[in-house]
Amino acid sequence: MKSWTRREFGRLTGAALLTALNQPKARGQAKARVVVIGGGIGGATVARYLAASATAIEVTLVEPRQTYATCFFSNLYLTGLRSFESLSHGYEALAKQYGIIVIHESAVAIHPAAKTVALNNGSKLSYDRLVVAPGIAFRDRAIKGYDEAAMEIMPHAWNAGQQTRLLRQQLESMEDGGLFVLVAPPNPFRCPPAPYERASLVASYFQRRKPKAKILILDAKDSFNAQDLFQDAWNRHYPGMIEWLPAQFTGGVTAIDAKTRSVITAGATFKAAVANVIPAQMAGRLAQLAGLANRSGWCPVDPVTFESALQPGVHLVGDAIIGGDMPKSAFCANSQAKACAFAIAADLTGSARFPAHLFNTCYTYLAPDDAFSNAISFKPVDGKLKSVISFVSKVEESSEVRRQAARAAEGWYDAFTHDVFG
Amino acid sequence: MRPVARSAIATGLVLLFSQSGAAAGPDQGAQLAATCASCHRLDGGGTGIPSIIGLGEERLTNALLAYRASESPNHIMHVIALSLSDEEIASVARYVAAQGSNPR
Ligand SMILES: Cc1cc2nc3c(=O)[nH]c(=O)nc-3n(C[C@H](O)[C@H](O)[C@H](O)COP(=O)(O)OP(=O)(O)OC[C@H]3O[C@@H](n4cnc5c(N)ncnc54)[C@H](O)[C@@H]3O)c2cc1C
Repeated sequence: MKSWTRREFGRLTGAALLTALNQPKARGQAKARVVVIGGGIGGATVARYLAASATAIEVTLVEPRQTYATCFFSNLYLTGLRSFESLSHGYEALAKQYGIIVIHESAVAIHPAAKTVALNNGSKLSYDRLVVAPGIAFRDRAIKGYDEAAMEIMPHAWNAGQQTRLLRQQLESMEDGGLFVLVAPPNPFRCPPAPYERASLVASYFQRRKPKAKILILDAKDSFNAQDLFQDAWNRHYPGMIEWLPAQFTGGVTAIDAKTRSVITAGATFKAAVANVIPAQMAGRLAQLAGLANRSGWCPVDPVTFESALQPGVHLVGDAIIGGDMPKSAFCANSQAKACAFAIAADLTGSARFPAHLFNTCYTYLAPDDAFSNAISFKPVDGKLKSVISFVSKVEESSEVRRQAARAAEGWYDAFTHDVFG
Repeated sequence: MRPVARSAIATGLVLLFSQSGAAAGPDQGAQLAATCASCHRLDGGGTGIPSIIGLGEERLTNALLAYRASESPNHIMHVIALSLSDEEIASVARYVAAQGSNPR
């Protein structure tokens, strides 16, 4: 295999964002093959940055869906502030501009010794390196009675798509005065502020359309992310509308009854007009099947290369990993994916290695024109991803600062999805 | 892809190679700029988040140094800049400036 000089690699990365396809292909030698499973935020970013930074690598992306709907900003869709189409992204740019081979199938098995992946359609893909980014799965029987049939009545809407549409329909057809119950999951879970952002935006929708409605959050935890910012906003914007009950008050949610749309805790039963049940989570099914997850249900990785600690040659990014201090967010998945892509490119092509920079930045809506932001940087320390510097918006900020953050969030969505999907 | 953008990149590349020697080469700048791209569109489009395209190397460098020095006016850029060494600031500024249609 050819090993690229700094100068050649530099030319490729320098031009990568726009002209990767114009580069003459290395001729007469087999390209290294990287297969990426999962075309969500983590997987699509790895594929894109690998394809853009090294034409000596053939990149194949395996993703069953033709379009990906983002979870981020889905709370705006739920409450009528954005269209579903505006959350949807296809894979055409990744295929056409970056030359990524996109296969719309599910991966059903990984054979690390043979270095192959089996697909749902019976075909097999060989790889030199594999990247697995399957997102999350829900833990079985975490809440008694919450099975696939119950999800159609009491949606989780924690993967964006049909579930999100269903929850919106239910909120729209709910009568004024109804009770919306949101069951918030135990740590760790996808996007720590998102259940509370959802409650905030549903409250703002109710205020506009169903002012007598109430929101009850039944939490599996006793505290939550950015709690001071949320509770301040709930008092300011929606006084008396949102009630939050920590696990220490209720004993936590143990069961649901889909027939009566009831949520059951140790001491009480709450009958909901609309119920959003977000169960406990773990790494996506394929990661469990392929032996990439440990007993915690999540996948241990090397914090520099994101190579699995359990299966050499397989890398993982995104929500499925044990991210140390890194939360399970799209921003983190994207940041990890870039570090992972550069590490794989360096291994396969001999390109230069530089210290990775890992970040999380998150905009969270408290009301349509009131958003807060946080930013955290991370570094690998003793095999773990540790947060280094962290800043978050403050409770006493002016409404103008918050309005600006809500506008910046829109710009972030546009730039970020462009970065992931081209 | 717009032809304007493509020729701008080509010009940027010429600059890149004439100015930068071996140390902290353009590949490091490109990898660092991947972080910028999570919020700033590197094709110069987008609204809501200020564009970093067409600003020139010196302005980008000075902006990053100022963000590094203070939490105000933007704590997100403060965190990003605090994680960058002087050398990294120089290489990312050089790389991003070279993406512009109008460096400096
Ligand atoms: C309501 C809500 C709001 C959020 N808001 C934000 C926010 O504001 N900012 C932020 O940064 N994050 C936010 N997030 C979190 C963010 O959506 C996730 O962290 C992010 O999607 C994780 O990326 P991922 O690649 O790990 O998983 P995903 O994006 O879920 O991608 C996984 C992909 O893998 C595919 N897949 C699974 N199994 C297979 C298989 N066997 N074969 C092939 N493909 C497979 C799936 O189809 C899917 O496309 C939010 C989440 C929610 C629920």
